[in-house]
Amino acid sequence: MKRSLVTRQPAFFALILLVISLAINLILQPNMFAGETLNSNMRVFLPIILLTVGQAIVILGGGIDISVGGTVSIVNAVLATRVGLQGSTEEMWKFVLLSLLIGLIAGSINGFFIAFLRLQPIITTYATSFLYVGLALFILPNPGGGIPGTLAGLYRNSMPLRFPLAFYVIAVILLIWWYASSTRIGKFLYAVGGKADAAYETGVPVTWVQFGTYVASGLMAALAGVAITMLSGSGNAEIGVSMTLTSITAVVVGGNALSGGVGGVVGPVFGAITLGIIQNIISFANINTWWETFVKATIIVAALAAPGVVNLFRRRKL
Amino acid sequence: MPESLSARNIVKHYGGVVALSDGNLDVRAHEVVALVGANGSGKSTMSKVINGVVVLDGGQLLLDDAPIQLSSPQAAKKLGISTVFQELSLIPQMTVSENIWLTREPLNRYGTVDRKAVQARTEELLGLFEGTFKTNLAYDSPVASLPPDEKQIIEILKAISFDPWMIILDEATASLDSRQVQRLFELVQSWKEQGKSIVFVSHRMEEIFRIADRFSVLRNGRTVGDGNIKDIDEKQLVKLMIEKESVLGFLRGEARTEEKIDKEATLEVENLSNDGLKGVSFKVHRGELLGIGGLRGQGQRHLLHSLFGDIPYLGTVKLSGKELHFKHPRDAMRNGFALVPGDRAKEGLLYIRSILDNLLIPSWKRYGFPLKIRKARMDATKTGENLNLKMAGLDEPVSSLSGGNAQKVVIGKWLSREPQVLLLDDPTKGVDVGTKAEFYALLNRLSEAGKTIIFYSSDDEELIGLCDRVLVMYDGMIRTELSGDSLTEQNLIAASLGIAEQGGAV
Repeated sequence: MKRSLVTRQPAFFALILLVISLAINLILQPNMFAGETLNSNMRVFLPIILLTVGQAIVILGGGIDISVGGTVSIVNAVLATRVGLQGSTEEMWKFVLLSLLIGLIAGSINGFFIAFLRLQPIITTYATSFLYVGLALFILPNPGGGIPGTLAGLYRNSMPLRFPLAFYVIAVILLIWWYASSTRIGKFLYAVGGKADAAYETGVPVTWVQFGTYVASGLMAALAGVAITMLSGSGNAEIGVSMTLTSITAVVVGGNALSGGVGGVVGPVFGAITLGIIQNIISFANINTWWETFVKATIIVAALAAPGVVNLFRRRKL
Repeated sequence: MPESLSARNIVKHYGGVVALSDGNLDVRAHEVVALVGANGSGKSTMSKVINGVVVLDGGQLLLDDAPIQLSSPQAAKKLGISTVFQELSLIPQMTVSENIWLTREPLNRYGTVDRKAVQARTEELLGLFEGTFKTNLAYDSPVASLPPDEKQIIEILKAISFDPWMIILDEATASLDSRQVQRLFELVQSWKEQGKSIVFVSHRMEEIFRIADRFSVLRNGRTVGDGNIKDIDEKQLVKLMIEKESVLGFLRGEARTEEKIDKEATLEVENLSNDGLKGVSFKVHRGELLGIGGLRGQGQRHLLHSLFGDIPYLGTVKLSGKELHFKHPRDAMRNGFALVPGDRAKEGLLYIRSILDNLLIPSWKRYGFPLKIRKARMDATKTGENLNLKMAGLDEPVSSLSGGNAQKVVIGKWLSREPQVLLLDDPTKGVDVGTKAEFYALLNRLSEAGKTIIFYSSDDEELIGLCDRVLVMYDGMIRTELSGDSLTEQNLIAASLGIAEQGGAV
């Protein structure tokens, strides 16, 4: 049976999209690969990339996590109120550790409901997202607070060996993914997302694998929260809300099936970068602000529909 | 390695249905035991008891004469009992090797999966069936891309990959071609010599006599005979499988005699084929009640769904001489077809919606816009009365009804459209005896009123009691046509098992 590269390597399609959008961006912004410009782009993309990695793991395991934005908000609210604009570096790292703990707890709550109580992932995480955003608003009712400028600068301007900090973070995450996906746990993840019943019959610990995906997603959301707080330097309890759907879109653009079991993490990372670049293109193309959302959505819908359209024509020929 | 496994007086209920009332089986090392029985005799339940998939309600399992409990498939696996499942336990998105080694992947010293070992061991296993694959099957082929026979082989390899001492082959040969079966049997032979024991669940007589050392026959959940295969022949084995006394009386429509049937064929089917059918041709007359028989999954469902435009097919279908090709059930409905599907909860009904909604769903168009609800309710009430539907009210959800009454709703929703051709996919499955009798009367009434009925049933008695003619399907084809004197239970079962040719008496 002949299978094209597009169907066998879902990340391949994401890569094509990335190259096309990069090319267009390059025409509009010729200096985009210059160190400074590259860094200013990548530091904006990083929070959404982190969030997307967690989302991709949940989706691979056959679930979905709508509460990730809420977790980002809690972390942002905690850092902005507890560290403060005048805070010390030690304070900051202490609360970063607390943030990661918050992410683990938020993920565990989702995982408990979904894996152990067998509730619907989409409804459960939709409900907990209100819980998390509500908590963030309780901690930080009005936008304000923040972290010391020096710490924000550390995130914004660090370029070890003249490469953006984001590159190192992405490299570490992909290395961890590469290792994890070649252990048994990685195989279990695909098995559970592919056909949970068959996985169970074969002896895969389905419940724990599902639980684990939400914990991983909560942790990644907390990291994304730390990143976006360091990027903005300030606090806003609703900062994460719009990020949830972007992360899901990035996973799908990255070639993963929403039904689970197909894809990986590399594609979604490409997907997240692609979405960021599309945003760039729109700001450079001098599109009227009124049209911005429309144009962005059109590009995303076209990108999502493309593989489906290809398949439709292939079926017709049959 | 253990020497024997015995199941004694096994009882298993599913809700109110008794699947096994007295099941017995002895399996010994160096032996192949064939587990045989007609549809619904408890074969599958028996194999699920030995591999820990179902928990027993009574009786006991003995391993080397010591009682054991099997609480899960994993517990059975630990004891070296492995199953080739009829419904495959493969994950389609994963590759051949990932599926075979899932949870038992060989690891290297970094804790990651040792790809070289996986590849080598998978290729070694694939080598057992070398030369029988039609595709370029490799260790890294995704399972989803494989045809059914190769998926089945992967399932077999998965089951033997941890070197079990007992292997249960549950209809494992059903989707294999003759060369693959041959290879499997060679392997079975070598497993036997190694001291393994094999339980062979199959409905193919020829294979049973080729491979089995002993047999055990189940009938209605009871073990009714066992012994050495040498001491028995096909005829005797079939006899053991058949129930002697009939429980139900059938009201055969007296008016429906040979002359009364309009000899004009209403529905002519020629060379129907798709992935479940291999060239099916037949004719049905107006007012005829045509039975479709055979073991489950021989293409009956495909046939009915193809006729209803639900599954794409090649071939021609003519209704009263006019050629039709339905591409959507909508086309079939417009031409007076109706289908009562086999899985009523999934395909026949909107389970949580009201009885009213379910009865009217194919007919809302008739009630205009805005809907004439009062008229609709009256019609639905009338349909309910006609069918003697026992319900608390039209607004109750269908899920509140018993199996028999729920099936009446499925039939009722089509009857109000006055269909000319009625396709029924095992409509009396899970229906109580009283409702069954009502069904039979209804089917007779309908065929007397000139409707054409094509009726698949897994209950052989029903086919013999009700139908004028029965087409027996085997492996996607019509194997035998039985009518008049040749329509006997013995012939029907023999034909189902693929023994007799062209309706010859056994």
